[in-house]
Amino acid sequence: MDITRADSRPSAIWNFRLIGHHELNGFGGMGEGLSMQMAKDGRRILWAAHESAPKNFTAIDVTNPRDPKVVVQTDLPHQQMRSNSLETVGDIMAVAYQTKKVGLEPAGFELFDISTPENPKSIGFFDASGPYSRGVHQLWFCDGEYVHLSSGARDFQPHDPKDDQFYRIVDVRNPSKPEEVGRWWMPGQRVGDNAPKIQRHPSHMDTGFRAHNTNVYPQRPDRCYLGYIDGGMYILDISDKSLPRVISNWDNSPPYYGFTHTILPLFGRDLFVVTDESVVDNAADWPKLVWILDGRDERNPVPIATCPMPPVADFRNRGGRFGAHNVHENMPLPGHWFSENIILATFFNGGLRAFDITDPYAPKEVAHFVPEAPRNSPLGAIQINDVFVDDRGIVYCVDRKIGGLYILEMDF
Amino acid sequence: MADALPFAGVFPSGEAAGPFGRRLRRPRGARVPVILVTGFLGAGKTTLVKSLLESEAGRNTAVVVNEFGEIGIDQALLAPSAEGGVALLGNGCLCCAVRSDLEETFRQLFTDRARGAIPSFERVVLELSGADDPLPVLQTFLGERALAREYHIQSVIAVVDAATGRAALRDNPEARRQVALADRMVVSKSDLATSGEMDALMAELRALNADAPVRTADHGAVDPDFLLAESSLPAPSPLRADAPAHAPGLTSFVLRFDAPLPWRALTAALGLLCEMRGADLLRVKGLVAVEGCRGPVVIHAVRHLLHRPVELEAWPDAERASRLVFITSGDLARQPVEDLFRAVARLGPP
Repeated sequence: MDITRADSRPSAIWNFRLIGHHELNGFGGMGEGLSMQMAKDGRRILWAAHESAPKNFTAIDVTNPRDPKVVVQTDLPHQQMRSNSLETVGDIMAVAYQTKKVGLEPAGFELFDISTPENPKSIGFFDASGPYSRGVHQLWFCDGEYVHLSSGARDFQPHDPKDDQFYRIVDVRNPSKPEEVGRWWMPGQRVGDNAPKIQRHPSHMDTGFRAHNTNVYPQRPDRCYLGYIDGGMYILDISDKSLPRVISNWDNSPPYYGFTHTILPLFGRDLFVVTDESVVDNAADWPKLVWILDGRDERNPVPIATCPMPPVADFRNRGGRFGAHNVHENMPLPGHWFSENIILATFFNGGLRAFDITDPYAPKEVAHFVPEAPRNSPLGAIQINDVFVDDRGIVYCVDRKIGGLYILEMDF
Repeated sequence: MADALPFAGVFPSGEAAGPFGRRLRRPRGARVPVILVTGFLGAGKTTLVKSLLESEAGRNTAVVVNEFGEIGIDQALLAPSAEGGVALLGNGCLCCAVRSDLEETFRQLFTDRARGAIPSFERVVLELSGADDPLPVLQTFLGERALAREYHIQSVIAVVDAATGRAALRDNPEARRQVALADRMVVSKSDLATSGEMDALMAELRALNADAPVRTADHGAVDPDFLLAESSLPAPSPLRADAPAHAPGLTSFVLRFDAPLPWRALTAALGLLCEMRGADLLRVKGLVAVEGCRGPVVIHAVRHLLHRPVELEAWPDAERASRLVFITSGDLARQPVEDLFRAVARLGPP
């Protein structure tokens, strides 16, 4: 079964043009891993991680973005886990495995040889399972040598079960034998720390002090830009990978509701783009925003603006979540789009939105795309979860629940 | 060239930005395109707009009319609206009557959309009354800051009645201006005119406006793509530049410059022209190669007002020469304007 719904109708579209939609064979609940492979045979293959079982990942041939074709779709070993996150570098792909409960396996990440996209071959596995670990939630793989991950570990017991994931660096230069070379966690997170326990957010807004995105860019290989959920944003000096050191921490919560997710550094502009993820339905944790920070002094990042949000009253009751989540992350790899002026971000039922931040003090929305509720949507609303833009300027975004892949052209 | 960006000196502007801000794919950037439909009374503007709204390509269009009655919308299409004064139509479109004035109407339309009070529209079609001179409307969109920031006049479409158009052009200066200022023209009711009359009308239209593409309507409708397309500038052919169109009280000509112009020279010439002869400068539109800019700079002026320039990512064709189209009235002819530009360009850097 291979269903393409070219007749999908957006409920609101402005300055984007919908050119393709694929329901991914009925398994259209997608996570936050989208990565482009420029295959050696000339095809462009978009690899996408599923948000939940039973599927692991799907590869879509988007050489002709108006006619996307599923190349391969794989299954997870069991229902009590998910992949959620993946990255590709050349013909190597790293896929995260996170279990629903601690102590289950497989938990960690798997490396695949994807030189033949139809037939991904497992070439390595990094085990992150353990009595207190759910494995890997998110991974970053950009240089072909190190995987940076948000992960638990067999030897890591957090004071609070919500704090089970921390920052780990794994050397995969020998893919058959991945090896941890460094780690960092918030002081007070782990049992046995000689630091006082972390002061938690009030219970109704306590989503955990743990790592989320672990972005390390080849332009600045000695820095990790780390989203730490309720811990805010960290900039780490990782020039010695075995001993990451904190350069700065920016934390907006409380009064905001935490869940700092992604830090996108704009190296050419001395700016940071920071997202907080909405994780509660009906905008109960509103406002979850995309922040712009002055990064001229990395020791003291200063918030100077937020990207304008559509009215909460219009979206709150549409179903599911409403608020910020992921952004296109400017990985400097072949096939990836790069912009330090236009930011594309996902907002669950608020769809996909593009912002012009040429004047960083006055970000301006320049485009949006809010699809109608996908067929058989359990929430009755779209939940746009992640976005990736290729070097042709083709935009790919995915629904978290069922809608699959939407392909757009930027028209602004 | 002075960096015009407000944060200059604090944050670098980014790879995608030039001295005028982010380089744009098209002149409108992210602004909402506005399509101005003009034409003399009874020319068939409403039929044309209705046919656009009913087409697939016309989805998500907001129509602004002087009165609801004018557009003649089938009452069955009207739905209760979130705000008074805006009627929701089928096909994702909405219709809005001009409120106290045009500026207020367009400001309200934008804010209503931003706060979700009305559906998200992709473009606005503004249907002018038959006797309306489009010039003040163009001025409004250029001169009013809030409007200029959010809206972009994508094209002026003049609808001309094949049967009565010649009489209207002969007797009414407004009708002549509507044609002279148009980016595109639609000839309606061609079945009511003989081929001789059609030929004569086309000749008159070409005398007033040598460059705007013309289409003949079929039962009041033309291909929606023709109506929705961005206005393009004439190819900078020396032949065209040497053969300016003339009509009573109206002149149009194209200036072409092979070498990139210094920004200072360009603004000096345009500024002087707007200041001294603004009353006769009906419209100036152009793509200019500016020294130090990667893409062409879009110039748009109406009378005394020069719109904030935008730089495009790339030239639309292989031609790299600057081209400026002038539509003027009175005795503002090509030669003194060209002399002014060439003189200022020769001055070079201060």
